[in-house]
Amino acid sequence: MRKLCLGVLFIVFFLFVSTGCAPQKMYYFGNYSKTLYSFEKNQNEESLLKHKQELETIITESESRNLSVPPGIYAELGYINFKSNNFKKAIKLFQTESQLYPESKHLMDRLIQSATSRNNSSS
Amino acid sequence: MKKYTYLILGILVVSLFSACAPKMSTKLAKFPLMYEEKPASILILPPINESTAADAKEYYSTTIQEPLTFTGYYIFPYPITSEILKMEGIYDAELLVNLSLSKFREYFGADAVLFTTIKKWDLSYMVLASTLTVAIDCKLKSTKTNQILWEYTGTVVVDLSGGNTGGGLVGLIVKAIVTAVNSAVADYVPHARRANYQALSSIPYGKYHPEHNKDQQVQFIDQTPAANKAD
Repeated sequence: MRKLCLGVLFIVFFLFVSTGCAPQKMYYFGNYSKTLYSFEKNQNEESLLKHKQELETIITESESRNLSVPPGIYAELGYINFKSNNFKKAIKLFQTESQLYPESKHLMDRLIQSATSRNNSSS
Repeated sequence: MKKYTYLILGILVVSLFSACAPKMSTKLAKFPLMYEEKPASILILPPINESTAADAKEYYSTTIQEPLTFTGYYIFPYPITSEILKMEGIYDAELLVNLSLSKFREYFGADAVLFTTIKKWDLSYMVLASTLTVAIDCKLKSTKTNQILWEYTGTVVVDLSGGNTGGGLVGLIVKAIVTAVNSAVADYVPHARRANYQALSSIPYGKYHPEHNKDQQVQFIDQTPAANKAD
């Protein structure tokens, strides 16, 4: 008898707990927050490369899981390319972000413009 | 048998009531402007740090992007926007509080900006448990009208001890060691992220969330202190 009651209580408890942590399947974010924090904390080549690789992983993982790439990921990867003077690649990534999320168009156009003029002056 | 049925019923009723004891509000009643204005994009401003922890700002700002994105808005990539703002001489949002926000619409195309103040970021180490207490104040303001669309004021306590390692004395010792190790590593990123998730639980969902425009009647625990409502 007692066992039965405990069992019921357990199930009730479990329901409470499980409703609180239903998994969210909108986006795949990997270790994004972690690598971004490490980079902000120690800005160097190594932490930047790790964060860049994480962004690339998020893109490939999202595709393989049939999810859209989260807002900002293409843009951030583009910005990293921009800062290491890979302007052409940066422009492509900014365009992808802009097509995927029209809300970003305004800012992306600004960045594309800036990357284009830097690209023209460097070549 | 009956005795137990009553007991279970009693527990259920108590647990239901205890969940309702704090003030509950619906999202629509509390944040009607969110449904009226329907902002699609949010720009995160560098937080104002009023806590004593110097690295709270980094923890907070690098862990807010992910939870905020899951609420369904287009979130401008913080690493880019914070750098642009820095170039403009804006290191934290303190200077912007009373200014017109239309500039953010013109420059970034943002519908709303998120102001955050970290009031408290306390780590307390105890032998058997460590906790991270985060008190934050968030305000989402419209770049069209400067009005507050959504706000959150509250304290989130995150348990940092390494889960349950079993009962008994051995369990306790193991747990104490795990706690010590966890604190030493000082990897608070997941905890900071969890605190952010909790703080965002009352925000109406944005256009990329499947529950967008369907969550008007969703209830949440209203933590906004009555005294603060005036500001």
